[in-house]
Amino acid sequence: MSEIKLNSIIKNFGGNSLAVDNLSVTIPSGEFVCLLGPSGCGKTTTLRMIAGLERPDSGEIFCGEKIFFSSKTGEYLKTEKRNLGLMFQSYALWPHMTVFQNIVFGLDIKNKTLIEKEQRFEELEKLFQLKNLKNRYPSELSGGQQQRVALARMLAVNPNLLLLDEPLSNLDSNLRLEMRAELKRLHQTLGCTIIFVTHDQMEAMTLATSIAVMNKGIIEQLDKPMTIYKKPKTLFVGKFVGSPQMNIIDLNQSEELALSLLKKTNFEKQQVKTLGIRPESIKMVSKDQGDINSTIETIQPTGADWIVGLNILGKSIFAISSEQPPGIEREIIGLSFKLDGLHAFDNKDQKI
Amino acid sequence: MFFSNLINQNSLLIRLKIRLSRLLLEPSFLIGSALVVILSYLVIAPIVSIFSNSVSLTMMDAMLSGSKDGEFTYKYIDRVFTSSISEKIFWTPLMNSLTVSFFATLIALTLGLILASLVTSTDIFGRKYLGFLLIIPYMLPSQAMATAWLTMFKNRKISGPPGMLESFGINPPDWLAYGPLPISICMALSYFPFAFLLFSSSLSKIDMQLEEVASTFGAKTKAIWSKIILPLLIPTTMSVLLLTVARTLGTFATPYILGTPAKYNLLSTSLYSSVRSNESGVVPVLAIVLSLIGVMLLLVDIWVVRKWQRFVTVGGKGIKRKPSKLGIFRTPTTIFAWIIFLLAAFGPFVVLALSTLMREPGNFSFSNFGLAYWTGVDVPGMDQPGIFTSPEVITALKNSFLIAGSASIICGVLGLLIGYAVVRLPGTLISGFLRQISFLPYLMPGLAFAAAYLSLFAVSRGPIPALYGSLSLLILVMVVTYLPYASRSGISAMMQVGPEPEEAGMVLGAGFWRRIISILAPLQKSAFVIAIILPFITGMKELSLVVMLVTPGTELLTTQSIRFLDFGYTQLANGTILIIGVVVMISVLILNRVTKTNLASGLGG
Repeated sequence: MSEIKLNSIIKNFGGNSLAVDNLSVTIPSGEFVCLLGPSGCGKTTTLRMIAGLERPDSGEIFCGEKIFFSSKTGEYLKTEKRNLGLMFQSYALWPHMTVFQNIVFGLDIKNKTLIEKEQRFEELEKLFQLKNLKNRYPSELSGGQQQRVALARMLAVNPNLLLLDEPLSNLDSNLRLEMRAELKRLHQTLGCTIIFVTHDQMEAMTLATSIAVMNKGIIEQLDKPMTIYKKPKTLFVGKFVGSPQMNIIDLNQSEELALSLLKKTNFEKQQVKTLGIRPESIKMVSKDQGDINSTIETIQPTGADWIVGLNILGKSIFAISSEQPPGIEREIIGLSFKLDGLHAFDNKDQKI
Repeated sequence: MFFSNLINQNSLLIRLKIRLSRLLLEPSFLIGSALVVILSYLVIAPIVSIFSNSVSLTMMDAMLSGSKDGEFTYKYIDRVFTSSISEKIFWTPLMNSLTVSFFATLIALTLGLILASLVTSTDIFGRKYLGFLLIIPYMLPSQAMATAWLTMFKNRKISGPPGMLESFGINPPDWLAYGPLPISICMALSYFPFAFLLFSSSLSKIDMQLEEVASTFGAKTKAIWSKIILPLLIPTTMSVLLLTVARTLGTFATPYILGTPAKYNLLSTSLYSSVRSNESGVVPVLAIVLSLIGVMLLLVDIWVVRKWQRFVTVGGKGIKRKPSKLGIFRTPTTIFAWIIFLLAAFGPFVVLALSTLMREPGNFSFSNFGLAYWTGVDVPGMDQPGIFTSPEVITALKNSFLIAGSASIICGVLGLLIGYAVVRLPGTLISGFLRQISFLPYLMPGLAFAAAYLSLFAVSRGPIPALYGSLSLLILVMVVTYLPYASRSGISAMMQVGPEPEEAGMVLGAGFWRRIISILAPLQKSAFVIAIILPFITGMKELSLVVMLVTPGTELLTTQSIRFLDFGYTQLANGTILIIGVVVMISVLILNRVTKTNLASGLGG
């Protein structure tokens, strides 16, 4: 168990912008860290550089005392020697090997005896409910089974560090929920460091002990999940985490709405460029009862909640509420804003 | 000052260390770099050499005029384009080539389109078999059709045994026996399967839903075809058009066999006769012209494919089009399709086979049949041993297997290596360069490429000996010419597997060799077999590429059959061609076994 440290990592794939742009981060031992971001933000590249499948153009990567890569000393530890586990989005099970052969491959490399391999396989078979699948080929397994085989293959050699690249994205929603619970349990029993890449904020929020939100090759914020949600440091983080999305109000475009929001706070109007308000912080009340009036455009009941599309002088926003809205489509209602979900950002999109 | 120098030097050393470790740790770099060096020589050197030779005096001409060997001159360019003989060696052959290509392509395209539509989308009788049978002409060597034609329609204009019609007492006129008409027809019948394949695959890729939408608007079958299906086939049509023209321009056998008796020369035969008649100075110029036309056609094709990209329909749910009912046209169209099969595949085969079994052509009495041409020691009237007893055929058979065999194995290995390097080094210079350079030979017609190799390897250069007259030259030129196909399939095979299976092994601690042996090799087994058999088939049929490079002793089956024809031993030529046909068919069957799919798709290249 050891902490992972990335120091000024730069990676360029020859595009217009850097894939990873001077990234420095320390991931404490035993954490379940999630790299969260839109596609192309450099999260998978970062993971692959930790795994040694890509080389940074410059910077350093340490795993505890071990140097994985350093452009200062020119050291580079081959992937084969890093003793880590990596799980691919596609699982990358070898189609020409049976479940047993797939899982014990890592032990094969270490020249373990057949008895040792059988023993380890039995342990994993129990842990991942792979009974009766031993001699099947990957193409004869369901998606969930394939995923568990991939997990078992990764864990067979007891790696110090687990890297997971969108491992749940190929599963349907029920299985996904199940596997999330499985991963969480796994982290608690093994206690090893896990780095997990996803673009699904829900997955990140529910699984991780801390989340690193990435955008354009840099980490915008690294914090505990609830801190990320409650106190986004940048406009991007505020927008990316949360569903429905945080409502963004540009001061120059929706002045009236912005002013009525600003009135409730002590932000300086000159400093603020955009305001963000979470949908659940907009309380719907009867007409003329709130801070401002608005027209209901759409109502989407989800069962537990109502997602309500609202229009304030041409600006569309969403509110979410567990209570039925006080009107129907095309009716005018009042809105009152709760301060805990209101965030202001300056002209550099940083939180004020 | 000294201190900062030290730091600079130090950081340079570190950068060097990083570079080196990368080179040594990732074998793909080593493989890629080695391939870059080898391919640069094999692909670029011949091209450079042919350009420089086109403006240098040949040794012979230098001696005659008392100048220095290799001196700069425009002489040969003048000779080809403006001199008094330019008409004979260039302009007339060019016009003839264009005429023949035009008609051959037109017929091939029409046949291909009609047959593809019938087989993929109608209830024509025997459509299941036709799909395979109509591709057979593609597997026959290109001279099969031409020699069969000659065997049938030959008249007294050239020597040798009488033609079949002649022995029935009918004397075919010259225009039917030789020249543009038979050349166009034979080429069309040889190349229509290519159009058939491309159209069939396009037709089956068109999403059924596109047609279903139209029928919800009330469109009838006829309207669906004219308004939706045919317009969607425009890009394929353009491709078929350009590629068939390119092929017909580069074909040597057909115009040589059917054109020479009528002194009807195409560019390809003009190039060949320039080589044979020691006009070697103009050879590079003609080869350059031939390749430029080829390059132009292919560039236009690439441009067309790009431009029409928006027409590419992404396959829907893969529902097969329901065969539409032909009604009263069912029988006539069926007869038409089967007649084409008979003419293009079955007919030549029967004619060739019969001619080798009958002592006297046209005499169908039982006693006239025999195996004399196959097993005879001294066939009467010919003073030649039969096919199986002829030392020439045995040598040619050995050579063909040796050359096509080694070329295809080398090609298969190179293809996968290129695929590995290209896929494992994405975005690097090596990867891009390998992709481009392995595609380059595709742009040059075989004859032109052979001319380039002739000019490069006629004399020894540096450490590379003069290879002219050796089997290794033939193997080499074949390897390089088939490289585009091999590398393309190698790249796509590696792409399909992707880097992940190997990376998964890496993470678990498997080194390079371990990954190759237990992960990559098992996954690429069938791709490798295909990568060997396909070039082997092409190599067994290859004529235009090797005809200028063979020497007595290095003859292949294909070139030997041409020699036999030159001497008027029609039956021996026909028998030799049949042997090629049989070898190719067996290879195709093996390939079918390996891939477990219809081979048709694989021959599309």
